[in-house]
Amino acid sequence: MMDVFNWDGTVSAKDFRIGALSFAQKWESLNSAFPPWSWVPCPKHPWLASPELFQEEGYLSLENICISRPYEVDIDQNSQTDPGEEETSCSEKEDDIDDATLVQSNHHELHYCDFHIVYSYTFRVPVLYLRAYCSDGRPLLLDEIEKELPACSSKESPETKWAFITQEEHPYLKRPWYKLHPCGTSEFMKLLFLGGDTGQPKLEVVLELYLLSWFSAVGQVVGLRIPCKMLNDRR
Amino acid sequence: MAKEGSGSILQFAPFQSSVDEGFWHRLSSLKLNKFGIDDSPIPISGFFAPCSHPQVSNYLTLLAESLPSDSNEESSIPAFNRGNRNRCSVPGILYNTNTMESFHGLDKQGLLKAEAKKIWEDIHSGKVLEDSAVLSRFLLISFADLKKWSFHYWFAFPALILDPPATLVDLRPASQWFTLEEAESVSTACNEWRNSSVTADVPFILVSVGSDSRAAVRHLKDWETCQDDGQKLLFAFYDPCHLPNNPGWALRNFLAFICARWNLKTVHFLCYRENRGFADLSLSLVGEALITISQGWREHQCVPNAVGWELNKGRKVPRCINLAKSMDPTRLAISAADLNLKLMRWRALPSLNLDILFSIKCLLLGAGTLGCQVARMLMAWGVRKITLVDNGRVAMSNPLRQSLYTLDDCLSGGDFKATAAVRSLQRIFPAVVAEGVVMAIPMPGHPVSSQEENSVLEDCRRLNDLIGSHDVIFLLTDTRESRWLPTLLCANTNKITITAALGFDSFLVMRHGPGPFNSTPDLKVEMPNSLSAVMDNLALTNTDGKQRLGCYFCNDVVAPTDSTSNRTLDQQCTVTRPGLAPIASALAVELLVGILHHPYGIFAEAEIANSNNGGSSELPLGILPHQIRGSLPHFQQMTLVGHSSNSCTACCCTVVSEYRKRGMQFILQAINHPTFLEDLTGLTELMRSANTFQLDWDDEIEDADDECIEL
Repeated sequence: MMDVFNWDGTVSAKDFRIGALSFAQKWESLNSAFPPWSWVPCPKHPWLASPELFQEEGYLSLENICISRPYEVDIDQNSQTDPGEEETSCSEKEDDIDDATLVQSNHHELHYCDFHIVYSYTFRVPVLYLRAYCSDGRPLLLDEIEKELPACSSKESPETKWAFITQEEHPYLKRPWYKLHPCGTSEFMKLLFLGGDTGQPKLEVVLELYLLSWFSAVGQVVGLRIPCKMLNDRR
Repeated sequence: MAKEGSGSILQFAPFQSSVDEGFWHRLSSLKLNKFGIDDSPIPISGFFAPCSHPQVSNYLTLLAESLPSDSNEESSIPAFNRGNRNRCSVPGILYNTNTMESFHGLDKQGLLKAEAKKIWEDIHSGKVLEDSAVLSRFLLISFADLKKWSFHYWFAFPALILDPPATLVDLRPASQWFTLEEAESVSTACNEWRNSSVTADVPFILVSVGSDSRAAVRHLKDWETCQDDGQKLLFAFYDPCHLPNNPGWALRNFLAFICARWNLKTVHFLCYRENRGFADLSLSLVGEALITISQGWREHQCVPNAVGWELNKGRKVPRCINLAKSMDPTRLAISAADLNLKLMRWRALPSLNLDILFSIKCLLLGAGTLGCQVARMLMAWGVRKITLVDNGRVAMSNPLRQSLYTLDDCLSGGDFKATAAVRSLQRIFPAVVAEGVVMAIPMPGHPVSSQEENSVLEDCRRLNDLIGSHDVIFLLTDTRESRWLPTLLCANTNKITITAALGFDSFLVMRHGPGPFNSTPDLKVEMPNSLSAVMDNLALTNTDGKQRLGCYFCNDVVAPTDSTSNRTLDQQCTVTRPGLAPIASALAVELLVGILHHPYGIFAEAEIANSNNGGSSELPLGILPHQIRGSLPHFQQMTLVGHSSNSCTACCCTVVSEYRKRGMQFILQAINHPTFLEDLTGLTELMRSANTFQLDWDDEIEDADDECIEL
C-alpha cells in the first residue's frame, strides 16, 4: 500500500476500471441532469477460450450531449452553396414536395458532443476524449468546438491551465478524436490529493475518488460540471 | 394549408437525416477494399427513435453499423439489423456512384418510384404486418470522392401520395384526448412495450383502450382481434418529430397502408413521443384523419406516386460533407506534426514562434551528410519550405551517412541527390514544400574555359536568384572554395547564413554576421562614378555602432583556392567521423532557431557560453553564439566570437562594393584568378609584411585556439 506522499498521481488499469464503474454509478444516481455513462468493453483477445485470461479493457461513454443553445438559422437568407456542390437540374415534372409536406421556414442547428473516458497506458491516467458534430452528422472542427465550450481555449483558470486539446486517434475506434492531453494529469492529481485536505485519506479511498476528482477538474473544461452532492458523497 | 371540406390538409414533417462520420469511413473502406468500381446498390439500415425532447426532433441516423462489415472474414450482414429501444432499424438502399457525373445523372424519379413500389408490394403482400419498419424504407444516393475525401449525398424518404390528400379533423396532445386514468394506463403500457427488448424497436403499433380505461399495446397483425365496440383504437407510431401541430413523415405510409389494407376512411392515430426515456403524453399527439381512397388503390398493380427527396436548407440540392481533416493521411500527418510543436510551446517554451518556422524558406547548398541531416532537423522544427542544391549523384556509399538516401537511389548510376532528397523528404512528410536544384556552385581557383563561361555565369545568376528568393541559406558543401560565392551573395543581401564545416574529428558551426551594407541597394543600377556614394553607405559596424560579426572567410589570410587537386587520393575524399555530421547539422538548425527568436535576428550580438552571461538567460532558447567549434576526441565544444575583417575575401566592403559595381564580371575574374581577391583586399600586402614570421597555414579548418587576426 502506497501512502499519498510517495504517490506519483497515476493509477493502474485495474484501478481505473474499478474507479470508472464506481464513478458511473455515482453519476447515475446523483446527477440526473445528464444521461448515465455506460461502460463499453473492448475485449483484448476475443478469441481466447477462457475469459479470465484477458483483462477487460474498456472505456466510459457519454454520447449525444447537446452542447449548444438552439438558435434558428433562417433558410431564406442562406445563399452560399457547399463547395463543389452543383444545382441538380430538376425537371419541372418532379414534385419533390406536395401539399401534404410541411416546409419549415427555420432550421435548428444544434451541436452535439460524445465523451469517452479512456485509460492511457503510457501516462497511466484517465484521458477525456471528445468529438462534436452537427445534427446532420457533420463533424465539428476544434475552433467550432471551442466556440461552444469557451473554457477549452481559456488558459486562465487553474483547471484550464492543464487543458490542451489535441487531435489523436481514438485507441479503440481507430478514428481521429479530440482529447485533453494527459501529460499534466498526474501532476494535478497529486496536487488535488496532497493539497488542501487536512485529514489525509487512506489510499483505498483515494482510488475510489480518483476518477471523481479527476473529472471534477477536467469536466469543467468541457462544460460538464459535477454537482456538489456528487463530490460530497462519501459512500 | 388549403381548407378542404371539414378539415385542412394534413401536413407531415419530413424525416431529417443525420450521417455519422463513421458511416463515411466504412463506406470508403468498403469501396477501397471490397467493392472497387462495382456500383451495384448496397442494402443498408437506418436508425431512428421516437422524439425524446420537446424542442428538438430526432433524426434518421446512419452509423458505421448501417453498412455491411468491411472485414473479409465476416459475410455481409443482412441489411436489416436488430435494433434496440434507441435504434429502431429501418431498411434502406444505397446507390453509390463512381463519378460526379453519374451521381448527377442518376434517374432520381425512377429510383424513388422503385422504392415506392417496394413499399406498395410490402403493403399488399402482408410483409408490413410481420415487419412494420419496412413502411419507412428509405433511399440514399451518394458519390464518395476518395481523393478529396468529400461525400455528396441525398436522401429520399418515399411517401405514397394520397390523392386527394388526407385531411385533418382534429389534432391535440394525447394528454388532452385521453382521460387521466386512460392516459396513465397508456403510458404504462407503452413504457412496458418500449422496455421489452422483443418489442422495443417495433415502430408501428396498435394502442387500444377499453371501456375500463385499461390500455394495451399490440402488434399490427392483431388488428382483427381488436375490433370490440366500446374500445378506443389508435394507430400509433414512433414519431421522431417534436412539433405540436404536425405528425412525422412515417405516418404517411402508415395511413396508406391502413387505407389500402383495411379500407378505413377515418383513422385515429397516435404520434408516440418520449421525454427522458419515458412516454410523454403531453408531447405525443392524437389526431383524426379523413382519407378518401381513389380507385387506383384497389388495384395492386397501380403504384401510387411518391414524394420524399430531402431538402437541403429548403433547396432541392444534395448535401456535401468534407472529411479531409479526419481522413486524409497527409492532413493527419500535418496536424500531428503541428501538435508536437504546439505541445512544446505549451509545456516548455511559450514564446516559441511557430508562424515564423512554418513560413521561412531555407536554401541548403549541399545535399550530402550535412544537407540531409539539416533538412531533417528543419522539418522537425516545423520548417516546411526547403530547397536543396547539389550537382552530384547518389553513390553506393552515401546511404550510410546521408540520411535521406537508400539503396534504390544508388541504382542505375545513381539519381541526382537534389531530386532524391526531395523525394525522400516528401515521403517523410507529405506537406513539405521541397525543391531540388541540380547545379554546381562556381568556385574561385577552378578556372573555366571561355566555352564554359556562359554556363558558369548562368549558374552564378541562378544562385543569386535562389539566394534572393529564400530567407535562410545553409552552406553545407564539402570544400572551402565552394562557400565563397554564396557567402558574398548573402553578405550582399543580408540573408541569414549558417555555415557548417567538418574536419576529420572536429567541426565548425557558425552564423555569418550581417553584410557590410545595412540596406539593399538596387544591384542593377550601374553607377561607376558613385563609388564614393557607395562608400558613404558602408558600415563596418552594425547600426548600433558595434563591430559586425564575421563570416566563414573573415579569419582567413589566404583566398579560397583549389583545395581538391594536387592532394593524394585519400586526402581528396572528405573523411570524417560519422558522428560529426549529425552533431554539426543539429547545432546548425538549433542556431537558426535561436536567430529567428532573437529580437535582432541577423544583427544579434554574439554570446559565449560561460557562467557570467549578462542578459542572455532572458532568451528562452538560451544564448546565441557566433561560432561553435567542437572536437570529438575531447567530447568538447566551445563557443567563440570572430568579428568581421576588413580584408575578408568574401564579405568586406571592398569586395561587396566591387561586386555591386561590376557584378558577374567581377565574379568571373575571381573564379579565374584567385590571387585577384587577395590583391583586391590587400591580403597580398599583408602576406608580404608577415613573411618575416613563421606561420602555419591550415587550409582546411582553423585550429580551435586561433584568434582573430588584428589588422
